[in-house]
Amino acid sequence: MDHFARLGLPAALDLDAAALDRAYFALQRQWHPDRFVSRSPEERARASAEAASLNEAYRTLKDPLSRAFYMAERAGVELPGDGKTIDDPDLLMEAMEAREALHDAETLEAVDTLAADARQDVRKALAGLASLFLANDRAAIRKTLLRLRYLDKFAEEARARRMNIERSTS
Amino acid sequence: MAYSEKLIDHYENPRNIGSFDKTAGDVGTGLVGAPACGDVMKLQIKVGADGLIEDAKFKTFGCGSAIASSSLVTEWVKGKTIDEAEAIKNTDIARHLALPPVKIHCSVLAEDAIKAAIADYRAKAAKKDDKADAAE
Repeated sequence: MDHFARLGLPAALDLDAAALDRAYFALQRQWHPDRFVSRSPEERARASAEAASLNEAYRTLKDPLSRAFYMAERAGVELPGDGKTIDDPDLLMEAMEAREALHDAETLEAVDTLAADARQDVRKALAGLASLFLANDRAAIRKTLLRLRYLDKFAEEARARRMNIERSTS
Repeated sequence: MAYSEKLIDHYENPRNIGSFDKTAGDVGTGLVGAPACGDVMKLQIKVGADGLIEDAKFKTFGCGSAIASSSLVTEWVKGKTIDEAEAIKNTDIARHLALPPVKIHCSVLAEDAIKAAIADYRAKAAKKDDKADAAE
C-alpha cells in the first residue's frame, strides 16, 4: 500500500501537516501492540507490521522534501543514485557559486543571509513542484528535485560553517 | 575507517586548487556533480600549442575522497596528451588512493570531470577550426 493510502490522505505535495498528524496518531492507537497482547500470534504479527509501515509512511510524508522525493518515485521519475554523476551546467554552476560564497563567508551574519536565501529558494522550488506533479512533467520534476538536493546539502554545509565560525570566535 | 597516507596527503595538501578563465580558447572546463551526496567538482585543463596539457586546476566541494581524487587527477594529467588524459580510469584513481569501497564513486566523479574538460576543450578547438575555415 502506498504511504498516502496507508494514512487515508490524498496524494498531494501540499499535505496539511495537522491532518497528517491526526491521521497518524489515530492509526497508531489502532495498531498499538498493547491492544494486541491477548490476541493470537498472527494478529500480533499483523499489528506490529502495520505499526512499522505506518511509522515509515509518516516519516516519509512529514518532511516536505522527503515527501517530494517520494511522490517523484511514485510518478516514475528516475533520479541518479549513489555513484551516478550529472553534468547539468546551470544547476552545477549555481551549486558551485553558492558553495564558494559560503566558503568565503566569514561572519555568522553572512552565513545566515546565505542560508536564508537558500531556504527561500527551497520554498519557491517546492511551491513550483506542485503544478509539475499535476502536469506529470517528469523532466521538470527531476530537474527541480536535483536542485533541491543541492539546496539541502547547502543548508547542511551552512550549519557546519556556522558552527566553525562560532567555535573560532568564542 | 582507515584512509591511506596518499589520500590524506592529497586531502590535507591539495594540489592545483584554483581556476582558469573558462572562456579562454586553450582551456577546457569540466563541471560534474554527484547529486546523491551533493558533491560538485570543477576540473580545468590548459592545453599548450604542442597538444600537451601544460596545467590543470580544480575546485571541489565534497568529501575528502572527492577532493583527493580531483587533486590527484590534476597532477596526473599534466604533461599528458589529451588522448592519454582521456584514458585515465576511475579504477586507477581508486587504486592509487586506496579508496574504501563506499568512496569509489568519488573516483568516478573525477574521471567524469576530466572527460568533460576534454570534451569542452575539443568542442572549442573544433569551433576555432570552423572559424579558421570560414575566414579562408
